[in-house]
Amino acid sequence: QHKQVTGVSSQGCQGGCQTCSVYNGCLTCKPKLFIHLERDGMRQFGVCLASCPNGFYGTRSPDRNDCIKCGSECDSCFNRNFCLRCRAGSYLHKGKCTESCPDGLVPSDTMKECV
Amino acid sequence: LWGCAAAAAAAAGEGPSTPATCSPLCRCDEDGGADCSGRGLTTVPTGLSAFTYYLDISMNNITELPANVFRNLPYLEELRLAGNDLAFIHPEALSGLHQLKVLMLQNNQLKTVPSAALKNLHALQSLRLDANQITSVPEDSFEGLQQLRHLWLDDNSLTEVPVGPLRHQSNLQALTLALNRITHIPDNAFANLSSLVVLHLHNNRIQEIGTNCFNGLDNLETLDLNFNNLKTFPEAIQTLPKLKELGFHSNNIASIPEGAFRRNPLLRTIHLFDNPLSFVGTTAFQNLSDLHSLMLRGASMMQDFPSLTGTINLESLTLTGTNIRGIPEDLCEDLTVLRTLDLSYNEIEDLPSFQGCARLQDISLQHNQIRQIDRGTFQGMSSLRVLDLSRNQIKFIHRDAFLSLSALTNLDLSLNSLASVPTAGLSALNQLKLTGNVELRNGLMSKSLPKLRSITVPYAYQCCAFVACDSAVNSAEDDERRNAFGGEEEMERIPLVMHCSPGAFKPCEHLLGSWM
Repeated sequence: QHKQVTGVSSQGCQGGCQTCSVYNGCLTCKPKLFIHLERDGMRQFGVCLASCPNGFYGTRSPDRNDCIKCGSECDSCFNRNFCLRCRAGSYLHKGKCTESCPDGLVPSDTMKECV
Repeated sequence: LWGCAAAAAAAAGEGPSTPATCSPLCRCDEDGGADCSGRGLTTVPTGLSAFTYYLDISMNNITELPANVFRNLPYLEELRLAGNDLAFIHPEALSGLHQLKVLMLQNNQLKTVPSAALKNLHALQSLRLDANQITSVPEDSFEGLQQLRHLWLDDNSLTEVPVGPLRHQSNLQALTLALNRITHIPDNAFANLSSLVVLHLHNNRIQEIGTNCFNGLDNLETLDLNFNNLKTFPEAIQTLPKLKELGFHSNNIASIPEGAFRRNPLLRTIHLFDNPLSFVGTTAFQNLSDLHSLMLRGASMMQDFPSLTGTINLESLTLTGTNIRGIPEDLCEDLTVLRTLDLSYNEIEDLPSFQGCARLQDISLQHNQIRQIDRGTFQGMSSLRVLDLSRNQIKFIHRDAFLSLSALTNLDLSLNSLASVPTAGLSALNQLKLTGNVELRNGLMSKSLPKLRSITVPYAYQCCAFVACDSAVNSAEDDERRNAFGGEEEMERIPLVMHCSPGAFKPCEHLLGSWM
């Protein structure tokens, strides 16, 4: 009955969804999972994940866990200011992605790091 | 070896996209990645290629890892086991994974750190243990992990900082202990974490912290103490010379001492809202040349405007809800790049000249005790767009006060004591609020406000200057407007003001008919 009224339901939801709608996928997630909004053309589609996709990091709070975009230079990150892996062309050093390495370190293309 | 296997597969007609060995329960790619996530598995799939370097078994129903379960995957670098129901990991479960760099165990049912199983992961850099039910961290938990850089222990049930287990983690760069039940931070809790850059402690129950609890964190840049129960200002931050981002909003801190941040010269952001602040030391925010934004709300007992000397890159300053009566004359000597200034809800009586703050775009001064606006108050402020002076006691505004405000679009002078309003210089204005100035009786000249779209006035008849009171446009007014704009050529018709409240009508004519 809840579904008819708003199109939102808690039955028949996929994966880690708590509530979902046919059009927008997951609206809320089961405890401790991250909600991530995927774009499908004009539509946003919610999915519930145990870890956020590449290019996003998870923020936890008592009532909600979200996937937030990393800084543009990061392939994956711990938070907005601390990268775990860099995009091609830059090298990781203490959470920062730079195109050149500090003195005493050299860029490693295989590891994408200053070593 | 990998190439031959793939060639054999191709010859067998399995097509390039089907590597030689993969489990039917997984999807494998040619680079050695295997995705077996979300398939309802209760055990680790077998039959994977020995060269698998990335294995994702997250979001399944695996409750335990038996011994040697990954012994055939010696090249594994990333193992994802998040979102299972893992409650037990055999001490030998991860043996053989000498090249493992990333281990994801978040969102499981672990009650303690599986220290025995982790012991030989000498290449491990990232370990996720967040969102489990960990109540204890054995002393030897991270002993073998000399390369560990990133550790997630947030969203567990820890009641104290795992000081012992962290003691030897000199390579650790990022640590989160957020969303636990930690109540205090002892002195030297992170003493050897000299490489730590990020420390998240938000959403705990931290009431007090040792004065030396952050000793040793020489490279810390981000410290997040938001959503705790701190009663006093965290003086321990004095030992953090590299700190750039500090958060302690949503605590119970009543005062910020003098020189609070004098040993943190690199601070860029300070989040301190939602604290019952009543006092802020005037020297607290000096010499923070990287600080871009400062927001202080509701420090109700604050009397003196904080000194901002040396804090030269502030772009946004919000200081509201205090007892401050005046603004320093030299405020703009330091704040030359300020763009938004919110000093509403104070007790300010007199305004200095804001001329030095040449980039200011938005000034909020509502709810103060301001009495007059001088000629020089807003002189030279050609970038100013929004000016809110409502709810003051302004009686007088110098006729040239707005002369240089060529970009001003919104001006709110409502609820003051004005008898007249200068309009020279307000050529860009499109919203003007004047309600509540009961002495303001005379008509307003629409000519000097060509871009006006919305105006609120004390008396209805004043709208007639902006919105036609009669159905036929009053020809005299039309001639007057035509003369004002060069007469002969085809006059570009200036659209009348779209909105004027409280409604345009001439009480005498409309109520008593045309014989008036």
